[in-house]
Amino acid sequence: MQHGAEEKLGDGLIARWVSGAHLHFADDEARKSYQARAQLIVDTIRLRDTGKIPVIPAATQKFAFDYVPVTFREAMTEFDKAFAAYVRQYEDTEFDAYVGPEFIFPAGMFEALAWNRVRLPGVHLPDDKSFQFVEAEYMKAEEYDEYLDDPSDWILRKYLPRLSPKLEPLAQLPPLRNMVAFFQGLPDLVLAAAENPGVVDAMKALQASGAAVQEWYDYLGRIDQELGGRLALPHLLGPMAHAPFDIISNYYRGWRGTIVDMYTRPEKMKALMERLLPWQLQYGIDGAKSLGHPIVTVYLYKGADGLMSEAQFEEFYWPTLKKLLLGLVEEGLLVWVFTQGKYDSRLHHFKEIPAGTCLIHLESGTDAFLAKEVLAGSQCIEGNVSSALLATASVDEVEAYCVRLAEVCGKGGGFMMDFSAFLDEARRENVRKMIEVAKRYGRSS
Amino acid sequence: MPQGLTEAIVNLRMDEAVTLAQRMLAGGTEPLAIIAESSEAMQVIGRRFAAGEAFIPELIMGGEIMKSISQAVMPEGDEPDTEGAKGTVVIGTVQGDIHDIGKDIVVLMLRIGGYTVHDLGTDVPVEDFVVAIKQHDAGIVALSGLLTLAFDAMKSTVDGIAAAGLRDRVKIMIGGAPVDENVRAYTGADGWGGDVGRAIKLADEWTDGGA
Repeated sequence: MQHGAEEKLGDGLIARWVSGAHLHFADDEARKSYQARAQLIVDTIRLRDTGKIPVIPAATQKFAFDYVPVTFREAMTEFDKAFAAYVRQYEDTEFDAYVGPEFIFPAGMFEALAWNRVRLPGVHLPDDKSFQFVEAEYMKAEEYDEYLDDPSDWILRKYLPRLSPKLEPLAQLPPLRNMVAFFQGLPDLVLAAAENPGVVDAMKALQASGAAVQEWYDYLGRIDQELGGRLALPHLLGPMAHAPFDIISNYYRGWRGTIVDMYTRPEKMKALMERLLPWQLQYGIDGAKSLGHPIVTVYLYKGADGLMSEAQFEEFYWPTLKKLLLGLVEEGLLVWVFTQGKYDSRLHHFKEIPAGTCLIHLESGTDAFLAKEVLAGSQCIEGNVSSALLATASVDEVEAYCVRLAEVCGKGGGFMMDFSAFLDEARRENVRKMIEVAKRYGRSS
Repeated sequence: MPQGLTEAIVNLRMDEAVTLAQRMLAGGTEPLAIIAESSEAMQVIGRRFAAGEAFIPELIMGGEIMKSISQAVMPEGDEPDTEGAKGTVVIGTVQGDIHDIGKDIVVLMLRIGGYTVHDLGTDVPVEDFVVAIKQHDAGIVALSGLLTLAFDAMKSTVDGIAAAGLRDRVKIMIGGAPVDENVRAYTGADGWGGDVGRAIKLADEWTDGGA
C-alpha cells in the first residue's frame, strides 16, 4: 500500500460517530462521557487492550416496557409510552450503548397494509406478546429466472401483492420495462395508476401507512437525542445488510423451500445470491452514509450449526456472506455480525475477514470460551449471557457466569459483555449484576 | 428394485426416488409396501441425524421426498397409516409464540422414530392441550417455544394440565433454543431440549424405547 492512500468512508464515519456531532449534548459531561463510550466500543472492536469491558445490550424490549409498564401493543402504537419506558430503563441500567427502541416497529404501518409477514400484538396476539414474523413461501420455485431477469418487476408485481392484500392490485400494473421510447408504455401506466380502482386503493393504503411511519421516525430521532445527548449512550445499531442466503430463506422461499432448492436447483440459488450481494453491500454503505454510522449490522439466521452441514455452509451460506463482510470492511466500515443459534463450528470462518473489523455476537448456545480461543487476535466477541439465566437464576449464579466470561473472554481485550438475545423476561437485579461485573473487571485490571 | 428406492431417498435424489416409486407401483407393488420402504429409508436418515452425520436439511428434504412419494403412489384421499407403536405425543408451540420450524422437525423426528404425533400447531391455548391429551390418550406432551416470553406460557400449560387432573398421566418436555434446566424447573416440566435431536431421546427414555 502506498503512503497517503485516500481516506476510506469508514474512517471519517468513525471519527464523526465518536465525536457525537449528530447529537445536542445536555452538557459537557454528557459529551465527554458519550465520546469515551463510543471510543471504547471502537477500540474494543479494533482489539486494542483498553483494560475495560464495555457492556452493551443486544436489544431490550419487554425488559424496558416493564419499567412503566407498557404492553407491546402500546409501545407499537403510542410511541411516547415506548419513549418513556426506554428512558427509564436506560436511566436505571448503566450500559455503554443502547439498542432496542428501533425494533418497536410502527403497528399502524403494518395494519394499514394488512401486512401478512407479521403477527401483531392486539391484532393476532395478546397485547403483551411480542410481534413475530411469519416465514412463508413468497417466491415460487419456478420464479428464479423471472427474478434474475427483472428483480424490481418481480418485487413490484409479485412480491408486494403477496405480502399485502391491499397491494394485490399492483399485480395489474404494466411492467415498467415497457417504457422505452417516446411515450411507449406511458398510457398503460397512467391508466393503471389513475383509473384502475384497485391500484388507486393500493396507493391510498400506502398513503394511510405513511402517518405511522412518520411518527416512528420522529420517535427514533427524539429517543436518539434523549439517550445519546442526555444519557450519553451511543446507538450501537446503525445501518443493516443481510446475508444473501438469509434473504432467500427468510423472505422469499421459506426454510423448507430453500432446502428443497439446495438439492434440486443449487445453481439458480447461487445465481440469485450473487445477484443480491452487490445490492446488500450498497445498501449497507448507503445506510452508513445517510445515518453517519460506521458499524453495519448483519443479523445471521440460517447458517447456525445443525441448520446445515459444514459442507453446505461453505457451499451455500458463507461465500456471499464473506464477500459482503469483505466489501464493507474494504470501505473502512466495522461490522456487527449478530450470530443466532449455535455457531461453534463456524467461528473459524471469521478469521478470513481482516482482524479487528467485526464484532461477533454470540448467543448462549455458542461456547464463548471456545470462541475466545478461536478468535483471539482476529475478531472481538460479545454476548452469551443466557436469557434463561437472567430470567430464572439467582444473582449469585449470574455473577459466577459473568465473572468467568470477564476473566476468560475479557483477557487481553476484544470482548464486550452482553446478553444472548433480545431481552424480554429478565430480573432487573440479574441484569444489574451482569453490568456491575463488567464495570468491576474494568476497574480491577 | 427396493434397494434402488431406499438408496435414492437416503441420498436425497427426489426425482429419481419418485420415478422409482411410480415404476414399482406400475409393476404391481402395493402402495403401502412402497410407503413402508420409504419409511425405512427415512429411519436411516433419522439415525444419521441422531449420530450427528446428517443435518436438518437432510431431514426436511427426506420428509419432502416422502410426501411426494406418498402423493404419487397413494390413491387420492387415502392417508398412509402413520400410527406409531412406541407411544402417543401431543405437541404444539405454546400460546403467544408462532415459531414452528423447530417444532415441525421434532414432529418429523418423532414420527419416523415410531411415535403417533398429534400436532396442534402454534400459538396453542392451554385448554387445547388438555382436550388433545384426553382425546388421544397421550402419554407425552411436547411444548415448543422460541421466545423467552414463552417461558410463562409453558408454565401455564404445565399448570393447566395439572389442574385438569392429567399431570400424573403424562410426561412433559419443553423445547426451544432459549430453554435450559432453569427453565425446566421454572415451568415444572419433566425434561427439556435445546435442539431437535433431544426430543426423541427423551421420548425413548420415558417409554423405555417403546419396549
